[in-house]
Amino acid sequence: MIATIRQMLRCHWSARRIQRYLDADPVARLAPAELRRLEEHLARCERCTAVVEEHRLLSRLLGGWTEFRAPDPRAVARLRATVDSLVADAL
Amino acid sequence: MQDSTDPQQHARAERFRRFVEPEIEVLLRVARTLTGSGVDAEDLVQETLIRAYRATDKFDGRHPRAWLLTILRNTNSNMHRRKRPDLVADWEVVGGHRPAFGARPPTPADDAALHAELDAGLRRAVDALDPRFRAVLLLVDVDQLSYADTAQALGIPVGTVMSRLHRARNRVRTALRVRPATRSDR
Repeated sequence: MIATIRQMLRCHWSARRIQRYLDADPVARLAPAELRRLEEHLARCERCTAVVEEHRLLSRLLGGWTEFRAPDPRAVARLRATVDSLVADAL
Repeated sequence: MQDSTDPQQHARAERFRRFVEPEIEVLLRVARTLTGSGVDAEDLVQETLIRAYRATDKFDGRHPRAWLLTILRNTNSNMHRRKRPDLVADWEVVGGHRPAFGARPPTPADDAALHAELDAGLRRAVDALDPRFRAVLLLVDVDQLSYADTAQALGIPVGTVMSRLHRARNRVRTALRVRPATRSDR
């Protein structure tokens, strides 16, 4: 019983950090001790490892939209021309 | 009458070009997410560039992307006063197009059906999100902005970005019942 509660608490603690772990965003990196504790937990917990894999798959799927939604090169060219025009007017 | 040899004018113009040119594509991506329309996005970025040019002298040169995203957000608010800046205008971002995975490197044929199913489910799940959550999800996971830049683009604190992102992803993940695409699954 106690072991089960401990495991639930560890999973809960990990669930709150998995996205920061995967993103590694500069403003929200895990502290080295948190990183170590999370990785140790993931090495033992199949459920949390499955959550990590789900997030990775979600990231890959949304990453597919990134390329598909690349800006129209003609719009980029027109906006570069706007920059050229602003700069030229100033000179 | 303009002095074509004014070194200050020249330096200002070159500073402006250096700051904005690398960011045009990012600005277009974010503008499209905020406005929901490619045409509106281009108008928004054009107006942003004009305002940025006028403000170049006040910019300290650090974090050009954050500076430009702030101008973009304010410009969008001014152009569409009724809209909240932290909402995506509408959700026609990928609708009506072929599945997004089609833009990715080829996958084995036996994965295609699974990816198509997941992609359709993903669209439905993203569509079902609260617009505030959807905006953060699109800016971070599709437009590939950092947490800090997302906060600038939406005018909200970084902590709010993180909490909305956390909830958005968990909702989409749960809605999809995403499973790792391993061969043992099939």
